[in-house]
Amino acid sequence: MTRPPSWLRRLVAGRIPRADREWVLRDLDDLYARRVARHGPRAANRWYVRQVGSFWARVQAHHVRSAGRALSDPRLFAEMLSMDHLLMDLRYALRRLGGTPGFTLVAILSLALGIGANTAMFSVVNTVLLKEQPFADRDRLVEVYTSEADGFAHSTSSVPDYLNLREEVDAFDAVVATRTFLARYDRGERPELAFGELVSWDYFQELGIPMTLGRSFRPDEDATPGVGQVAILGYKTWVNDFGSDPGVVGGTVTLNGYPFTVIGVAGEAFNGTIPVLSTGFFAPLTMTNELMGGLGTNQYDRRGSRSLFVKARLSEGVTVEQANQALAAFSRGLEERWPETNELRYMSALPVSEVSLHPFVDRILVPVAGLLLVVVGIVLLIACANLASFLLARAEDRQKEIALRLALGSGRGRLVRQLLVETVLLASLGGVAGLLLARWTLDLLLSFQPPLPVPVSFVVELDGSVLAFTAAVSIVAGVLFGLAPALQATRPDLAPTLKDAGRRPGRAGRYSLRNSLVVTQVAFSFLLLIGAGLFIRSLQKAQAIDPGFDTSPAAMVWPLPELAGYESSEEVVAYFRTVRDRLLADPQIDAVAMASRLPLGSEIQTNGYEIPGNPSDTPDGDWDLDDTTVMPGYFETMGVEILQGRSFRDEDLDGERVVVVSQAFVDRFYRGEDVLGRTISYPGSSDPFRIVGVARDTKVRSLGEAPRPFIYHTPWPGFIPGMQVVVRGSLPGAGLLALTRGIMDEVDPDMVMFSAKTMNEHLALMLFPPRMAAFFLGVFGGLALLLSGIGIYGVVSHAVARRTHEMGIRLSLGATARDVVVMSVGGGMRLVAVGAVIGVVLAGTVTWLISGYLYGISSTDVVTFLAIPVLLTGVALVAAFVPARRASRVDPVRALRSD
Amino acid sequence: MAKETLGEFEHHVLLATRRLGNGAYSAAIVEELEDVTGREVAPAAVYIALRRLEEGGLAHSQLRPPPEGGRARRYFEPTSQGLELMRESRRRFEALWDGLTAGGGKG
Repeated sequence: MTRPPSWLRRLVAGRIPRADREWVLRDLDDLYARRVARHGPRAANRWYVRQVGSFWARVQAHHVRSAGRALSDPRLFAEMLSMDHLLMDLRYALRRLGGTPGFTLVAILSLALGIGANTAMFSVVNTVLLKEQPFADRDRLVEVYTSEADGFAHSTSSVPDYLNLREEVDAFDAVVATRTFLARYDRGERPELAFGELVSWDYFQELGIPMTLGRSFRPDEDATPGVGQVAILGYKTWVNDFGSDPGVVGGTVTLNGYPFTVIGVAGEAFNGTIPVLSTGFFAPLTMTNELMGGLGTNQYDRRGSRSLFVKARLSEGVTVEQANQALAAFSRGLEERWPETNELRYMSALPVSEVSLHPFVDRILVPVAGLLLVVVGIVLLIACANLASFLLARAEDRQKEIALRLALGSGRGRLVRQLLVETVLLASLGGVAGLLLARWTLDLLLSFQPPLPVPVSFVVELDGSVLAFTAAVSIVAGVLFGLAPALQATRPDLAPTLKDAGRRPGRAGRYSLRNSLVVTQVAFSFLLLIGAGLFIRSLQKAQAIDPGFDTSPAAMVWPLPELAGYESSEEVVAYFRTVRDRLLADPQIDAVAMASRLPLGSEIQTNGYEIPGNPSDTPDGDWDLDDTTVMPGYFETMGVEILQGRSFRDEDLDGERVVVVSQAFVDRFYRGEDVLGRTISYPGSSDPFRIVGVARDTKVRSLGEAPRPFIYHTPWPGFIPGMQVVVRGSLPGAGLLALTRGIMDEVDPDMVMFSAKTMNEHLALMLFPPRMAAFFLGVFGGLALLLSGIGIYGVVSHAVARRTHEMGIRLSLGATARDVVVMSVGGGMRLVAVGAVIGVVLAGTVTWLISGYLYGISSTDVVTFLAIPVLLTGVALVAAFVPARRASRVDPVRALRSD
Repeated sequence: MAKETLGEFEHHVLLATRRLGNGAYSAAIVEELEDVTGREVAPAAVYIALRRLEEGGLAHSQLRPPPEGGRARRYFEPTSQGLELMRESRRRFEALWDGLTAGGGKG
């Protein structure tokens, strides 16, 4: 039979979808042959050339007509935007999602986990670092700090310095101040501790803090110390303690035994000066000694007593630099006038916009917050990768349906919109579930309150900006990962799709997109898991650190007699004596220790010392050393071993002043010498302390620290400072604590307790940061692992499903089930291997960032870097094996028939 | 079925398919249309029409070897839906023609 020239044939062939190519060319050949027979070869060739043009034009027109209402077509958008079908699309989307509950559940869960973690973490960071205080005219507000003599720039200021600053520096329109206080709050049966702020009278006015009720302070209420017994309630206190009673103004609250007239309630937007701590009461600064004092100490008008946070408003036209120059000149003036308190103390200002909590705290918190946000961001990324991967797979499976609907005249815009509606619905459901999960996560986060002995509540709420953030993340994720597959799926290349999409492997491009998603997931999971592994190992190391004292169960109670109305040292001494005697009288209590400061507590206490023969580098030659004051029995009860000499005895309370020093003190100052009998003293004091014993080192401030020189005092004769009581006995921790509290309540039912905790709770404070880090990175790492596992499972099972036909052929040609499993698992594991290599390299590159937070291991800890790949590979193997095994059970006959 | 009317050419193709019975492959349809209408018909147009008809569920096709032997051809035939639509189109045309003279004016 005569055939047209092959080059012409090829030209036609190029325009015909592959599935139709053969029969169409064959039919054309027939027509050509008949033309040759009827009209001769030349006419037939001319005819064939015309047909080439005809196929080019018509097939192209067909594509444009049926599917190519391309994106540029305004109708596409009109269709997408038309509301007529939106409800229908929603119903359709719901039905489709409901039709594949497994897919839907996994997709929603993936997103919910990612969004939930992000929302919770963002809420915390937002509250602590980002949320702006509702201060008026923030642009001109600055924080003013006084430096420490040692050069630390951002410390607090004293009241007299502040009052001078108000008067003498005209770079500012206004200068306001606040300090925190803890006072006894007599409400109901038991006295409570209240957290409040002492503020300058114009604090509310100058900062533009709104009032819910009543008024703010007047100048006369802050003019004379001890006179202005007026208070403003914090909004939360008003709601929680006073039931939002508008009649509260004019009433009285009793703080530290003083009646304060309530004059107003602060606005809801202002929670207190420190964002996370909720301030219960505001009182005038002149009430400092009434609310802070005790035992006659003066914290109000001593120039050396620095506890004020000062804010100032720049005068019109004054820059921060100019203000700083003015402050420097002012500070030098103070230094000249009061050298004994103000030597080397310089004031400086920072714009409030540059300070979240405090410059020093920010320096620690911002990187931690950044790290946490990056971690949850990675989790969200992995979750979105899962969603994208699923949507791509789904789009692939739906191509036939979509092509059919396009062919039947569905507008492309309609279809794109329908796919988008489905995706956005999915993302929204994920967002809602994520929000619920965030609420739950946040509660969990807050249940991890640092075991600080401060009776204040952390206030973190999911607020509007967080909601907006979540919504944005969900919608962007949805559109991003819905649009790509949607556009791809509605591409106008129809005919081949209609004919045989089921049997051909997917387009290489799309496959590799899904594959690279899995590789990315694995790599980032690796990163998170290695981080988690490092922190878990670090926690193990921290827990294994010997703190140098006995950590077996004990009760630790910290009474505050100065807040409970004890006015003289004699009363305080008598109280502690009675407590000790009554405790020891109980048969279940074996030993009692008292100390002004306990090792690994939250408080830091240092004093200057002169050490004969060992002057320091400072101009005065003094050493600033950590110390504590303990009652006899301390070493025995705390289980701190005495290495040389003796521990304290009762007669030390009245006789010669003696001290016990730590081994690190000896190593530092008298290495290899006999230290017993030597004396040290406070600078300039003629009353030296004789060293009578050397105690084994304990950890003092933190678990990770090097042995620290430490000095144990006995109380001054006739004076006992605030003491923490440590009790050992035959009961477990909680029971012992209850027993101890019970006995102490009998001694004085009105005693205010700063804290009451078990030894375990005490230790938890120091283990808190590594425990938190290990917990969160562990949870998020686990989450990442789970999500990646799901991703690997999805890719392998989809690949297996698409290759059922091929599997059938292999099985019928003699491949064993094992071969098929190995082949499928191998495909998945290749991706894991690539991801793992990237992940390890990535981790090796960035983990040094967290090295500062690790105890006792390096940021390239070999154990972690070996264990995590094993763990991840194990999970990946399972995730790949499950679907692969299903493939091996394929019935060859059915597989070959599968479409 | 989304489509309610047939395009003229699609209608012709479907009729030709019906006329050809078991032998309706695309080349045969082209020749049938050319024979009946006396006009040259583009095979590409027939091909596209067949594709649209099939995608629209108005025709279906089958690859099978021709009776004379040799490689398979794709044979088309109208589906019941296609037949229904053809009858519907014819009824409409006849209704419109009803009462008109062959010349076009009202008789």
